[in-house]
Amino acid sequence: MTPGEEEHQMIMAAKAEPARFAPLYELYFGDIYRFLLRRALDPDLTADLTQQSFLKAMLGLARYEPRGLPFRAWLYRIALNEVRMHWRKKKEVLIDLSYREVQGLSEEMGLEMDEQEMQRLARAMGGLDAEKARLIELRYMDGLSFAELGQVLGIGEEAAKMRTHRVLGRLREQLVPRR
Amino acid sequence: MKRRYRITPEGRQQPTDAEIARYRDPKRLLYNYTRAVQRPQKPLYRDPKAFLFLLLIVLLAYLISEEQRKPDAPAPAPAENAPRTPSGG
Repeated sequence: MTPGEEEHQMIMAAKAEPARFAPLYELYFGDIYRFLLRRALDPDLTADLTQQSFLKAMLGLARYEPRGLPFRAWLYRIALNEVRMHWRKKKEVLIDLSYREVQGLSEEMGLEMDEQEMQRLARAMGGLDAEKARLIELRYMDGLSFAELGQVLGIGEEAAKMRTHRVLGRLREQLVPRR
Repeated sequence: MKRRYRITPEGRQQPTDAEIARYRDPKRLLYNYTRAVQRPQKPLYRDPKAFLFLLLIVLLAYLISEEQRKPDAPAPAPAENAPRTPSGG
Protein backbone atom coordinates (compact mmCIF):
# COMPACT_ATOMS: atom_id res chain seq x y z
CA MET A 1 0.00 0.00 0.00
CA THR A 2 1.38 3.45 -0.92
CA PRO A 3 1.60 6.18 1.76
CA GLY A 4 -1.16 8.07 -0.08
CA GLU A 5 -3.50 5.09 0.04
CA GLU A 6 -2.65 4.50 3.68
CA GLU A 7 -3.45 8.13 4.47
CA HIS A 8 -6.72 7.88 2.54
CA GLN A 9 -7.71 4.84 4.60
CA MET A 10 -6.89 6.67 7.83
CA ILE A 11 -9.06 9.61 6.74
CA MET A 12 -11.97 7.36 5.83
CA ALA A 13 -11.68 5.54 9.18
CA ALA A 14 -11.63 8.84 11.08
CA LYS A 15 -14.66 10.09 9.14
CA ALA A 16 -16.57 6.96 10.15
CA GLU A 17 -15.40 6.96 13.76
CA PRO A 18 -13.88 10.11 15.37
CA ALA A 19 -11.89 8.04 17.88
CA ARG A 20 -9.89 6.76 14.91
CA PHE A 21 -8.57 10.24 14.17
CA ALA A 22 -5.68 9.46 16.56
CA PRO A 23 -3.34 7.96 13.90
CA LEU A 24 -3.67 11.13 11.77
CA TYR A 25 -3.06 13.25 14.85
CA GLU A 26 0.04 11.21 15.74
CA LEU A 27 1.32 11.39 12.18
CA TYR A 28 0.98 15.14 11.66
CA PHE A 29 1.31 16.58 15.16
CA GLY A 30 5.04 17.28 14.74
CA ASP A 31 4.61 18.98 11.34
CA ILE A 32 1.79 21.22 12.54
CA TYR A 33 3.58 22.02 15.80
CA ARG A 34 6.74 23.12 13.96
CA PHE A 35 4.68 25.06 11.41
CA LEU A 36 2.96 26.99 14.20
CA LEU A 37 6.09 27.43 16.30
CA ARG A 38 7.72 29.34 13.42
CA ARG A 39 4.95 31.90 13.81
CA ALA A 40 3.88 31.80 17.46
CA LEU A 41 7.41 31.39 18.91
CA ASP A 42 6.22 30.37 22.40
CA PRO A 43 6.20 26.55 22.89
CA ASP A 44 3.19 26.43 25.24
CA LEU A 45 1.13 28.78 23.11
CA THR A 46 2.11 26.72 20.06
CA ALA A 47 0.91 23.56 21.80
CA ASP A 48 -2.47 25.20 22.44
CA LEU A 49 -2.76 26.42 18.85
CA THR A 50 -1.81 22.96 17.58
CA GLN A 51 -4.42 21.28 19.75
CA GLN A 52 -7.02 23.82 18.61
CA SER A 53 -6.10 23.25 14.95
CA PHE A 54 -6.55 19.49 15.29
CA LEU A 55 -9.87 19.98 17.06
CA LYS A 56 -11.07 22.16 14.15
CA ALA A 57 -9.79 19.50 11.72
CA MET A 58 -11.74 16.80 13.55
CA LEU A 59 -14.88 18.91 13.57
CA GLY A 60 -14.54 19.70 9.88
CA LEU A 61 -13.37 16.29 8.70
CA ALA A 62 -16.80 15.34 7.36
CA ARG A 63 -16.50 18.20 4.84
CA TYR A 64 -12.95 17.30 3.79
CA GLU A 65 -12.69 15.91 0.29
CA PRO A 66 -9.37 14.46 -0.79
CA ARG A 67 -8.67 15.69 -4.32
CA GLY A 68 -5.32 14.04 -4.73
CA LEU A 69 -3.73 16.69 -2.52
CA PRO A 70 -1.98 15.87 0.72
CA PHE A 71 -4.00 15.97 3.92
CA ARG A 72 -1.09 17.85 5.49
CA ALA A 73 -1.85 20.92 3.35
CA TRP A 74 -5.45 20.96 4.59
CA LEU A 75 -4.13 20.87 8.15
CA TYR A 76 -1.73 23.72 7.36
CA ARG A 77 -4.63 25.78 6.12
CA ILE A 78 -6.51 25.28 9.40
CA ALA A 79 -3.35 26.00 11.41
CA LEU A 80 -2.71 29.17 9.43
CA ASN A 81 -6.22 30.39 10.24
CA GLU A 82 -5.60 29.69 13.92
CA VAL A 83 -2.39 31.70 13.93
CA ARG A 84 -4.09 34.55 12.06
CA MET A 85 -6.81 34.62 14.72
CA HIS A 86 -4.08 34.78 17.33
CA TRP A 87 -2.28 37.60 15.49
CA ARG A 88 -5.45 39.61 14.94
CA LYS A 89 -4.86 42.03 17.82
CA LYS A 90 -1.12 42.39 17.33
CA LYS A 91 0.42 45.38 15.62
CA GLU A 92 3.66 43.65 14.79
CA VAL A 93 4.91 40.07 14.77
CA LEU A 94 8.49 38.89 14.83
CA ILE A 95 9.43 35.84 12.80
CA ASP A 96 12.71 34.28 13.79
CA LEU A 97 14.47 32.39 11.02
CA SER A 98 17.72 30.49 10.70
CA TYR A 99 20.09 30.63 7.73
CA ARG A 100 19.03 27.07 6.92
CA GLU A 101 15.36 28.12 6.65
CA VAL A 102 16.10 30.94 4.23
CA GLN A 103 18.74 29.08 2.23
CA GLY A 104 16.39 28.27 -0.67
CA LEU A 105 15.16 31.84 -0.85
CA SER A 106 18.71 33.27 -0.64
CA GLU A 107 19.81 31.06 -3.51
CA GLU A 108 16.82 32.18 -5.54
CA MET A 109 17.77 35.80 -4.85
CA GLY A 110 21.47 35.21 -5.48
CA LEU A 111 22.46 36.31 -1.99
CA GLU A 112 25.46 35.25 0.07
CA MET A 113 24.73 33.67 3.42
CA ASP A 114 26.37 36.38 5.48
CA GLU A 115 25.05 38.75 8.12
CA GLN A 116 24.81 41.82 5.92
CA GLU A 117 22.98 40.06 3.11
CA MET A 118 20.63 38.32 5.55
CA GLN A 119 19.75 41.65 7.14
CA ARG A 120 18.91 43.04 3.71
CA LEU A 121 16.76 40.00 3.02
CA ALA A 122 14.98 40.37 6.38
CA ARG A 123 14.27 44.05 5.61
CA ALA A 124 13.02 43.29 2.12
CA MET A 125 10.73 40.53 3.44
CA GLY A 126 9.45 42.87 6.13
CA GLY A 127 8.46 45.31 3.38
CA LEU A 128 6.09 42.81 1.75
CA ASP A 129 2.41 42.95 2.53
CA ALA A 130 0.88 40.10 4.55
CA GLU A 131 -0.41 38.12 1.58
CA LYS A 132 2.90 38.18 -0.29
CA ALA A 133 4.91 37.45 2.84
CA ARG A 134 2.67 34.45 3.54
CA LEU A 135 3.41 33.02 0.11
CA ILE A 136 7.16 33.29 0.65
CA GLU A 137 6.97 31.81 4.14
CA LEU A 138 4.89 28.84 3.03
CA ARG A 139 7.02 28.12 0.00
CA TYR A 140 10.52 28.67 1.39
CA MET A 141 10.32 28.40 5.17
CA ASP A 142 7.73 25.64 5.40
CA GLY A 143 8.87 23.96 2.19
CA LEU A 144 5.42 23.46 0.65
CA SER A 145 5.05 22.36 -2.95
CA PHE A 146 3.07 24.63 -5.30
CA ALA A 147 0.15 22.18 -5.14
CA GLU A 148 0.16 22.32 -1.33
CA LEU A 149 0.60 26.08 -1.41
CA GLY A 150 -2.45 26.34 -3.65
CA GLN A 151 -4.49 24.19 -1.32
CA VAL A 152 -3.48 26.19 1.76
CA LEU A 153 -4.34 29.49 0.10
CA GLY A 154 -7.43 28.20 -1.66
CA ILE A 155 -6.10 28.83 -5.17
CA GLY A 156 -4.93 26.56 -7.99
CA GLU A 157 -1.41 25.21 -8.36
CA GLU A 158 -0.69 27.39 -11.41
CA ALA A 159 -1.96 30.50 -9.65
CA ALA A 160 0.25 29.69 -6.66
CA LYS A 161 3.26 29.34 -8.95
CA MET A 162 2.52 32.57 -10.75
CA ARG A 163 1.95 34.58 -7.58
CA THR A 164 5.14 33.23 -6.02
CA HIS A 165 7.19 34.24 -9.06
CA ARG A 166 5.63 37.68 -8.95
CA VAL A 167 6.55 38.09 -5.27
CA LEU A 168 10.08 36.86 -5.96
CA GLY A 169 10.36 39.49 -8.67
CA ARG A 170 9.22 42.12 -6.20
CA LEU A 171 11.77 40.96 -3.63
CA ARG A 172 14.51 40.96 -6.26
CA GLU A 173 13.67 44.56 -7.15
CA GLN A 174 14.05 45.57 -3.54
CA LEU A 175 17.28 43.66 -3.06
CA VAL A 176 19.08 44.69 -6.23
CA PRO A 177 19.94 48.38 -6.10
CA ARG A 178 18.66 50.26 -9.14
CA ARG A 179 21.25 51.92 -11.34
CA MET B 1 -0.23 44.03 11.27
CA LYS B 2 3.42 44.35 10.37
CA ARG B 3 5.78 41.42 9.99
CA ARG B 4 9.38 41.73 11.11
CA TYR B 5 11.96 39.09 10.31
CA ARG B 6 15.12 38.25 12.16
CA ILE B 7 17.55 35.98 10.33
CA THR B 8 20.38 34.56 12.39
CA PRO B 9 22.69 31.58 11.76
CA GLU B 10 20.91 29.42 14.33
CA GLY B 11 17.44 30.98 14.33
CA ARG B 12 15.37 30.14 17.36
CA GLN B 13 16.04 26.93 19.21
CA GLN B 14 14.30 24.00 17.55
CA PRO B 15 12.41 21.60 19.79
CA THR B 16 13.43 17.96 19.70
CA ASP B 17 10.95 15.23 18.78
CA ALA B 18 10.80 14.23 22.45
CA GLU B 19 9.91 17.80 23.47
CA ILE B 20 7.14 17.94 20.87
CA ALA B 21 5.85 14.55 21.95
CA ARG B 22 5.31 15.96 25.46
CA TYR B 23 2.58 18.20 24.07
CA ARG B 24 0.84 15.44 22.15
CA ASP B 25 -2.36 14.44 23.91
CA PRO B 26 -4.85 12.50 21.78
CA LYS B 27 -7.06 11.77 24.79
CA ARG B 28 -7.57 15.47 25.48
CA LEU B 29 -8.30 16.05 21.80
CA LEU B 30 -10.98 13.35 21.78
CA TYR B 31 -12.42 14.70 25.04
CA ASN B 32 -12.61 18.25 23.60
CA TYR B 33 -14.15 16.91 20.42
CA THR B 34 -16.79 14.96 22.35
CA ARG B 35 -17.64 18.06 24.39
CA ALA B 36 -17.90 20.16 21.24
CA VAL B 37 -20.28 17.84 19.42
CA GLN B 38 -22.27 16.53 22.37
CA ARG B 39 -25.77 17.87 22.86
CA PRO B 40 -26.45 19.29 26.33
CA GLN B 41 -27.22 16.46 28.76
CA LYS B 42 -30.22 18.21 30.31
CA PRO B 43 -33.08 19.30 28.08
CA LEU B 44 -33.70 23.05 28.22
CA TYR B 45 -37.07 22.75 29.96
CA ARG B 46 -35.45 20.85 32.85
CA ASP B 47 -33.12 23.72 33.62
CA PRO B 48 -35.01 26.11 35.97
CA LYS B 49 -33.44 29.26 34.53
CA ALA B 50 -33.98 28.20 30.93
CA PHE B 51 -37.51 27.11 31.82
CA LEU B 52 -38.36 30.54 33.27
CA PHE B 53 -36.82 32.23 30.24
CA LEU B 54 -38.85 30.08 27.84
CA LEU B 55 -42.00 30.72 29.91
CA LEU B 56 -41.38 34.46 29.74
CA ILE B 57 -40.99 34.32 25.95
CA VAL B 58 -44.21 32.30 25.56
CA LEU B 59 -46.07 34.72 27.86
CA LEU B 60 -44.82 37.74 25.95
CA ALA B 61 -45.77 36.17 22.64
CA TYR B 62 -49.26 35.43 24.01
CA LEU B 63 -49.73 38.99 25.29
CA ILE B 64 -48.58 40.50 22.02
CA SER B 65 -50.90 38.28 19.98
CA GLU B 66 -53.84 39.10 22.29
CA GLU B 67 -53.10 42.80 21.98
CA GLN B 68 -53.10 42.57 18.20
CA ARG B 69 -56.32 40.55 18.10
CA LYS B 70 -58.35 43.24 19.94
CA PRO B 71 -60.72 45.14 17.56
CA ASP B 72 -59.96 48.79 17.16
CA ALA B 73 -61.89 50.91 19.68
CA PRO B 74 -64.70 52.91 18.00
CA ALA B 75 -63.99 56.56 17.53
CA PRO B 76 -65.86 58.68 20.10
CA ALA B 77 -69.11 60.11 18.71
CA PRO B 78 -69.30 63.89 18.54
CA ALA B 79 -70.93 65.14 21.71
CA GLU B 80 -74.25 66.93 21.27
CA ASN B 81 -74.07 68.98 24.42
CA ALA B 82 -70.66 70.20 23.82
CA PRO B 83 -70.05 73.44 25.63
CA ARG B 84 -70.48 76.33 23.30
CA THR B 85 -67.91 78.88 23.10
CA PRO B 86 -69.23 82.31 23.89
CA SER B 87 -69.74 84.13 20.63
CA GLY B 88 -68.93 87.77 20.54
CA GLY B 89 -71.56 90.40 19.40
